[in-house]
Amino acid sequence: MWLVRPALPDDVNQILEIAGAAGSETARLSSTLPRQREALAEKIKHSLTSLAGKTIAGGPLPRFLFVLEDTATGRVHGAAGIDARAGNGQPFYNYRRDALIHASHELGISSRVDVLYPSHGLTDHTLLCSFSITPELRNTEAFELLSRARILFIAGHRDWFTQRVAVEIQGVQHADGSVPFWDSLGRHFFNMDFETADQHSGALSKTFIAELMPPHPVYVTLLSEAAQEALGQPHELTVPNLELLQREGFQAGCYLDIFDGGPVLEARTDALHTLVTSQLKALHGAVGDADDGGGDLCLIAAGDGAGFRCTLARAAGTLEGTLKVPVKVWSLLEKTAGDEVRVAPC
Amino acid sequence: MLVIRPLQQSDLEDLYTMAQRAGKGLTSLPADRDMLQRKINQAQETFNQRCAPEAGLYLFALEDTDTGKAVGISGIQARVGLDEVFYNYRLSVTVNASKELGVHVRTPTLHLSNDMTDTSEICSLLLSSDYHGGGNGLLLSRCRFMFLDEFRKHFSEKVFAEMRGVSDEQGMSPLWDALGSKFFDMEFIEADMLSGLGNKSFIAELMPKYPIYLPMLPDSARAVIGRVHGNTAPALTMLKAEGFNFNGMVDIFDGGPVVEAFVHTIRTVRDSFNRYASVTRKAIDLDVPADKRVMISNRSFRNFRVTTVPASCVGIDTVSLPPEVAEALQIESGDPVRLAPLKERSQAPAKAAN
Repeated sequence: MWLVRPALPDDVNQILEIAGAAGSETARLSSTLPRQREALAEKIKHSLTSLAGKTIAGGPLPRFLFVLEDTATGRVHGAAGIDARAGNGQPFYNYRRDALIHASHELGISSRVDVLYPSHGLTDHTLLCSFSITPELRNTEAFELLSRARILFIAGHRDWFTQRVAVEIQGVQHADGSVPFWDSLGRHFFNMDFETADQHSGALSKTFIAELMPPHPVYVTLLSEAAQEALGQPHELTVPNLELLQREGFQAGCYLDIFDGGPVLEARTDALHTLVTSQLKALHGAVGDADDGGGDLCLIAAGDGAGFRCTLARAAGTLEGTLKVPVKVWSLLEKTAGDEVRVAPC
Repeated sequence: MLVIRPLQQSDLEDLYTMAQRAGKGLTSLPADRDMLQRKINQAQETFNQRCAPEAGLYLFALEDTDTGKAVGISGIQARVGLDEVFYNYRLSVTVNASKELGVHVRTPTLHLSNDMTDTSEICSLLLSSDYHGGGNGLLLSRCRFMFLDEFRKHFSEKVFAEMRGVSDEQGMSPLWDALGSKFFDMEFIEADMLSGLGNKSFIAELMPKYPIYLPMLPDSARAVIGRVHGNTAPALTMLKAEGFNFNGMVDIFDGGPVVEAFVHTIRTVRDSFNRYASVTRKAIDLDVPADKRVMISNRSFRNFRVTTVPASCVGIDTVSLPPEVAEALQIESGDPVRLAPLKERSQAPAKAAN
């Protein structure tokens, strides 16, 4: 069975493998999951501190990292994170795409001029990030579980998160690694290729962005045609992810990634589909492992903080409002009869 | 004989012919009779002091006294940017640096600016092609510095000139194509014309207000920023010899440079000197090469006149003038005159353009 649980220090090697050797397809698709062992170990440590509710005032803000485990083999097949507050106490950078109307009454001319404004507008939004999964699992139930488990985590720990959620979607990158938006804009200011900038962004403090990002608004019409076409467009490999998030209620607004021009999706936390449709239920007396309960496939989450677990199972409601699931699910969730779980339809 | 004098009503047709022959490059003098008539009226009001000093437009005609025709024009705008907003791009540098990453990037950037507001501009120079050579262009241009010098209180301490930028025979400008055309749904010529007709509000309405990062423009456009049109190169050389320098401002349409100088440092101003006229019956050969001639002005505001005489006419206190020159300058013996060399004394090459 598939299980989503908090990342543990022992997962480092397997996560690094998923994050991928530089240049692999997966590697290109993960931008905020560190690919350096130390950075990753630090991230996991911080996640565990956050899960224990032990982040201190004035210290680093809570950030969480979860993994997708195949319980039959114990292998990790994916990772996904949540930053309680985008920017983690520092500015969070985006471009905000906005429009000005340049109109001359005298000449009877009116034209729309698109402008990219440097923005910190999404700072302190809750951020879904670090999503990475082995390619063969893309478009499977496991893929959906890994992504949506985070929403159930948010639902169960609502106080830790803010009113709005954002998620950055990887933008257009060609097979040769070139990124049209970067090549037309960022490259001139950062004086480095996209890969390097992307790596710095995952590993270093964001100070370098403040230092190197163009300080003034940028006219879209002055970007290369390829860059203009790429604005707000997702990388083709992220389309399934994008669609899943759209079903969740996320919408592309006016924000764009500063490196690749990819879209940033936004939603109101309390309106997220999984959160709205999830219900708290008590676990009901066991049915046999062979018996799937005859119910629908559901996401079932339980546990607080470091005890958070989320899995996919067939479950059926009972007349008493309890939930009937196979016993093996109990043990996965580390819960027993009568314990409360959060369930959402798949 | 060629004499500089204030532009007058009878010059309209000559002016129109000149503007027509000059073609499309000259936006300050469009071949438009109404427009030219307005300029003449404005110049007349200015010289007769019937308008506010800062609104003054001093236009001078170069008249061939043999034919009575105007064969050239040049001017000084007392102050720019008062009636209409005056725009330029300032070419400056944006530096992005990260010590952590060892990155230090300089990005040339164009900032829209109104910095020339309230400054005097020398403008509208046009010489009929039949009269090119022989120092006529120098007289037409430099007479303005003599006027600026005489009547400094009417002008700003600093004066500037906008130089025509690069465009091809079809009137296509690389900077316009890469920048202006993205914001103005019209051809460069049309925009330039509208701007020349004083129709400038459309610039404020349509022009990009945020800085333009040059690396985002194509090489062809970057290459012409601060460069002059081939036809304007001699004028630039002349102004540089007078002490004008590129001040970092460029034209918002074609990227042509703005050059400026303080009036008191202009070569013609520094080299000027006063004498008294002495009309003589002695035969004087006026036909000497340009480098052996000096400009001579009658020091009059309302009826400012300048012509050239051989340097050999200049004495210790006086300058000997044949009657026809005195007549052209409308002076008599004993009247004060002011003189300045027509050409640089040393022909040391002007310092290389920056």
